[in-house]
Amino acid sequence: MQIEKFNYDNKIVRDFAIATMIFGVVGMLVGLLAAVQLYQPAANFGNQYTSFGRIRPLHTNAIIFAFVGNAIFMGVYYSLQRLCKARMFSDVLSKIHFWGWQIIILLAAISLPLGFTTSKEYAELEWPIDIMIAVVWVTFGINMIGTIIKRREKQMYVAIWFYIATFVTVAVLHIVNSIELPISLTKSYSVYAGVQDALVQWWYGHNAVAFFLTTPFLGMMYYFLPKAAGRPVYSYKLSILHFWSLIFLYIWAGPHHLLYSSLPDWAQSLGVVFSIMLIAPSWGGMVNGLLTLRGAWDKVRDEPILKMFAVGITAYGMATFEGPMLSLKNVNAVAHFTDWIVAHVHVGALGWNGLLTFAILYWIIPRIYNTTIYSKKLMNVHFWLATLGIVFYAIPMYWSGFTQGLMWKEFTEEGVLQYPEFLKITIQILPLHVLRSLGGTLYLAGFLILIYNIVKTIKQGSLVANEPAEAPALEKSTLFHKGEFWHSVLEKKPVTFTVLAIIMIVIGGVVEMLPTFLIKSNIPTIASVKPYTPLELQGRDIYIREGCNVCHSQQIRPFRSETERYMGEYSKAGEYVYDHPFLWGSKRTGPDLMRIGGKYPDSWHYHHMIDPRTMSPGSIMPRYPWLAEQDLDLTTTEKKLKAMQMLGVPYTNDEITNGNTDLDKQAAGISANLKKEGIVLESNKELVAVIAYLQRMGTDIKKSSGNN
Amino acid sequence: MGNQQLINFTTCFHCGESCAIEILPYDHHSFCCKGCLTVYQLLSDNNLCSYYNLENAPGTQQLHPVLSSSYSYLDDEKIIQQLLTYKDENIARVIFFIPTMHCSSCIWLLEHIYKLDGGVTGARVQFMKKELHISYNPRQTSLRKIVTLLSRLGYEPAISLNDLEKRVQKDDNRKLIYQIGVAGFCFGNIMLISFPEYFGLDSFTKGSFSKLFGYINLILSLPVFFFSARDYFIAAWKGIRSKFISIDIPLALGILVMFVRSTYEVVSGHGIGWFDTHAGLVFFLLIGKWFQQKTFDTLSFERDYKSYFPIAVTVLRDNSETTLPVTSLSIGDRILIRNNELIPADAILLKGDAHIDFSFVTGESDPMHKVLGEIIYAGGRQIGHTIELEVCKKVSQSYLTQLWNNEAFSKDQRSSIESFQQLVSRYFTLALLIIAFASAGWWLVMAPSLALNAFTAVLIIACPCALALSSPFALGTAMRILGKHQFYIKSPQVIEQLAHMDTIVFDKTGTLTQPSAASIHFHGKELSLVEKKLIASLVSQSIHPLSQKIKSFLVQSNLLSVSTLKETTGKGLSGTVDNHSISIGSAAFLNIPQAADDNLSTKVYIDIDNNLLGYFQVDHTYRKGLKEVTDLLRPTYEQYLLSGDNEKEKEKLIPYFKEENRLFFKQSPADKLFFIQQLQSTNKHVIMIGDGLNDAGALRAANVGISITESTSHFSPASDVIMSASMFDKLPTYLAFSKNTLKVIHASFIISLMYNIVGLSFAVQGTLSPLFAAILMPLSSVTVIVFTTISTTLLSRKGGLQ
Amino acid sequence: MSVMFILIGCSLLLALGFLSAFIWSVKSGQMDDDYTPSVRILFDDAPQSETPSDVTSLPKT
Repeated sequence: MQIEKFNYDNKIVRDFAIATMIFGVVGMLVGLLAAVQLYQPAANFGNQYTSFGRIRPLHTNAIIFAFVGNAIFMGVYYSLQRLCKARMFSDVLSKIHFWGWQIIILLAAISLPLGFTTSKEYAELEWPIDIMIAVVWVTFGINMIGTIIKRREKQMYVAIWFYIATFVTVAVLHIVNSIELPISLTKSYSVYAGVQDALVQWWYGHNAVAFFLTTPFLGMMYYFLPKAAGRPVYSYKLSILHFWSLIFLYIWAGPHHLLYSSLPDWAQSLGVVFSIMLIAPSWGGMVNGLLTLRGAWDKVRDEPILKMFAVGITAYGMATFEGPMLSLKNVNAVAHFTDWIVAHVHVGALGWNGLLTFAILYWIIPRIYNTTIYSKKLMNVHFWLATLGIVFYAIPMYWSGFTQGLMWKEFTEEGVLQYPEFLKITIQILPLHVLRSLGGTLYLAGFLILIYNIVKTIKQGSLVANEPAEAPALEKSTLFHKGEFWHSVLEKKPVTFTVLAIIMIVIGGVVEMLPTFLIKSNIPTIASVKPYTPLELQGRDIYIREGCNVCHSQQIRPFRSETERYMGEYSKAGEYVYDHPFLWGSKRTGPDLMRIGGKYPDSWHYHHMIDPRTMSPGSIMPRYPWLAEQDLDLTTTEKKLKAMQMLGVPYTNDEITNGNTDLDKQAAGISANLKKEGIVLESNKELVAVIAYLQRMGTDIKKSSGNN
Repeated sequence: MGNQQLINFTTCFHCGESCAIEILPYDHHSFCCKGCLTVYQLLSDNNLCSYYNLENAPGTQQLHPVLSSSYSYLDDEKIIQQLLTYKDENIARVIFFIPTMHCSSCIWLLEHIYKLDGGVTGARVQFMKKELHISYNPRQTSLRKIVTLLSRLGYEPAISLNDLEKRVQKDDNRKLIYQIGVAGFCFGNIMLISFPEYFGLDSFTKGSFSKLFGYINLILSLPVFFFSARDYFIAAWKGIRSKFISIDIPLALGILVMFVRSTYEVVSGHGIGWFDTHAGLVFFLLIGKWFQQKTFDTLSFERDYKSYFPIAVTVLRDNSETTLPVTSLSIGDRILIRNNELIPADAILLKGDAHIDFSFVTGESDPMHKVLGEIIYAGGRQIGHTIELEVCKKVSQSYLTQLWNNEAFSKDQRSSIESFQQLVSRYFTLALLIIAFASAGWWLVMAPSLALNAFTAVLIIACPCALALSSPFALGTAMRILGKHQFYIKSPQVIEQLAHMDTIVFDKTGTLTQPSAASIHFHGKELSLVEKKLIASLVSQSIHPLSQKIKSFLVQSNLLSVSTLKETTGKGLSGTVDNHSISIGSAAFLNIPQAADDNLSTKVYIDIDNNLLGYFQVDHTYRKGLKEVTDLLRPTYEQYLLSGDNEKEKEKLIPYFKEENRLFFKQSPADKLFFIQQLQSTNKHVIMIGDGLNDAGALRAANVGISITESTSHFSPASDVIMSASMFDKLPTYLAFSKNTLKVIHASFIISLMYNIVGLSFAVQGTLSPLFAAILMPLSSVTVIVFTTISTTLLSRKGGLQ
Repeated sequence: MSVMFILIGCSLLLALGFLSAFIWSVKSGQMDDDYTPSVRILFDDAPQSETPSDVTSLPKT
């Protein structure tokens, strides 16, 4: 018979592995830097490119898409080839995929510090990069599906199903969420406005977590854990079961990120219900993983790889239990906007994604270099450092999370806020942030040890670029059973995948026609809510560039504690109708700004922006002196207004043509205002626009309430 | 002595058995027998030695060398055609059942079989079913080659007359999976689409969505209604046609009404209807169905003599051997039966000395010696040298197989007791319809507009989903638990049957007695090591089971050669080993005046150089715990014993069965069958417990037939339950458990009824909101599921089934 | 909230895609065997099969 001989492509696996390690260090370093800035503002080197608002997105992107992303590709390229008993579909595609992805990362690393951002979390990258991502991702998909089609093993192991789900879903999510109207190469506006934008963003945001950080790793767990433990997964049946239920549930859990926001109640509740239901399939995976180690605990004791799996999977279990809990309205009321969420996320990232990635690295490298790991001892050291790191990170963050959540809501007997000063609370938790950065350092140290260990291992071995293998050819045609009429459609695998492909194209099409009918969206509008003036609009874009929304929310939840603290009504859906994109934020490192307008004089804002500590001693907000020096770019005004008009913001045509004249007028007013208080700020500086925007924020409603 | 120790502790590298008889060293490994060694050599030559790295000693012992002649019948085109599942000129597919498959090494080797036979183009194992799916190129290899190869590796496929009847692919199980998948998918999405309504969608969107959502729901529930729920309508319709009110009728009614009314509401824009409840209901029902469909893959409850008779037999036609399918065997044919081959038809012994092992027929494993001219009944297995017989009855006419011509087999199932669910659902349905019409009528008078509303509401809410789930989950759980304790049940209904039984009939041989566990010990002066060696050397020359028993009893290795061996069949053997003349055999053989032999034990006397050393006593034992079992069962059950043998054991058995008139001997297979039917004619509900083919009739006739088997891969006759012999003493526990399970069903029925009453109380008032239904339905279903599963498990714990 | 249309549309289409995949998988017998695949992945397929993987022992079934 024809036993086919072929080679596994280990080189591509090696490349992704190296990328994983490099970007791991980068991502973690940036994270550490950001963490330090949270108690040591000076740590941004007084430099706009490294200020918190810009490097925090850099951190998240580097970790999620560069570190974890490359890790996923490493694991998939290694396991998929072996599960399919076939080399990757096309080496060329593999290369395109690899280099394409690295270029994307590079562009991100450049563009984010430069302040080119859409402000949408985990989707900050601007539209040209978004397109590249889509292209490269589809390349990956074709390569993967191609491999699956020409596989030599009839049975598709459950891991493969997880990979497919990852590819398809992420593609759809990415495309739907990144529909933007470009102004220039580096600037675009989301086609959705306010509440709708928020909904889409978190529909994406949550599923990015689900299908980028969870499903691929579940898949890899199902391959590498049994391999490492030398025993089959505890229950293959369960794995299949929980895969399908996960798939049918996950997609809708998103809205729980918007509880108490002005998202319609039913959409919120929907998110909650589905998040709760998610516990079942998630734990299906965890239980299956841990029980696979059942009876092999003796092995776990002296095999650091298994230790990492064990802890990683446990972390996954904790995070997937905590998640649904957090989506319960009353829990969320306390936890949202606080460090609790940061802790939750990092248990997942450091525990589940991190440790699994390490374990897989330790498993793959010696094998593709045909040697053994350089030092098991160092592996153990790494394991303990990582575990300690997680502990030192999580506990302080939970602690500070509770502290924030409770202090924000604390009332005295007289019914006034116990801590009306936001800053007081922030200062309270600084020590915990110091501890957190310590935990991060430990974790990073562990990772450096991994790199040393791996490098040594690579040195002592030699890469088996093409690992020979053999398997009998898979005989075509499964004539075993007659299909019913409507199954015959799906007779052959390729067909199924074309079906999936078509679906994606359809979605793409739907999405392109969107803006047209998005414009008349049935948000209850508020008469007094008016579009931003040109100056405010420019200011808003600077606000976005500097990443103010990273630390300041623009969303007052319907709690007395918040309406009291921020002296105004809670946010209404109608107030956001002109917000492309929405800027609700997800974290309150600083106070909410929804009602900041008119609260302080322009001069206060001026001083506060130049050096926050002059106005509020002890503040951890970075200084923004460059705003007072850089000139506002007026060339874009008209384009921006036009774009907004296209997106349904009611600017009249002459409003657009006279955009800059109006802008100058308003700017002049502000700088004159400042001059009164002896502050010299030319009207053409960026800071003027920012002040204009800040002073406008949330005032429409005040007006209306004033009027009637 | 130290040397002795060492020998005893060496185990075979291939099969892991202790190298008691001899040690064959090779490649720094030691092997227990030639067979194991040859397999090893074969594998190592084709560097397939990973076989030994996956598991240690994964092989099976290879005592009898495989003679490929024994598979010559696989060259017969007719037979090949019947065995293959698919064939064209360059590919053929076949599915083998391989009982000896047991570990990952097996999977690995069997799936790499193509390395040993280039003609094989694909080999896939289905481990749970112990199946090997092979596809090969008929031009490069042959079925016979493959089977021979497998057998040589110790993976002999079980090929029987049964395989000639084309196995029907049972796809219905797969269909159920489709239905569940579709229902689940639709349920999930419908739920998703319906929630907004419940969460006050309209307050926000002024109804603009409700319409869209309503229609999406409608579309989504079409497949549920027309595909997933299909079988319930069919079943209900069958029920109506045969004037038999089953649970399916109210179910189908509920589903139908729910769908129709919801559709109406959506289209007419009155509301969103009950689509989520509808889909959920179907989904849960299907899950229940699936849960109930627990099957024990490797077991077959439908075996008859066919699944056990060989496909072909060697026939002598004018002094040349040809293989003939047994089906075409005709009276007067002369057949050759080799060692370990089975006699397919009643035949007269013409040549050779026959030791026939009838264990499959009677459960008695000690071979019977037959003399020339004697009729040997089909089903016996020859132990020893090749014999020649003349067929005197066609296979289908033989003494044994006649049994299957009895109407007990033709009429498909005996009067089974009506299941609780059927009983209930009759009244339930009637009550339901009455309520429905009553409320409708009442409203017609009060407020005609509400009449239809109330009527449909009643049918919807009272749809006995929970009720329909209680039995499947209780019984399914029970089945799984019992299965864990090697008490394998054919179908959930059997458990309910078991609970109603009041009479138990035992077969004796192989059921109460334990063929395998014959205990052996030596009476006389302590044997010296030398003497042991001498005896072992001699007995190792005979394949008589007693000799084998003795050989394994005196663990010896490096045996000596035997000269002047003389075996007097059925009596004993004598020979000269190392200048000692040794005779071993029955008292008669060594002409010893013997005392009245007591029934259950056989004595083998030893004589070395004309002095009698003593005798090995081989005792047959009754199964352990027989006393306890019979005592425990006596209060609840009438117990009888049927035996094919003569009355010699009567005295021994009376203590177990107390009254003498409960014991019946010299019972032919047919007698047993009639005996059962007699009992039933006096309204007894009978359990028959047997093991051999000769019990097949009785097992079939009884309300519940339990066949007891030493190992589940062994043959066991058609029955409702297959029970591992080692668990015999647990029997009372199992029976008690089945009764408890029924109690659980009753309880869960009460629960589901209460839910229905609550629902109805709303429905009759015509005030039944979709939300209410959407909560009530899953709630009731889940409660019942949880309750039944948990309480059944707890009861099993209490009953001592962990 | 017209954006709901798209989100629901996408989710449904996605779900449909997965449903069809599910149906195919059942159809092509992916679900027939729910044990052997988990063992199969433990085997290596190096040509001159030396020690395959580091499989030690499996629960004997």
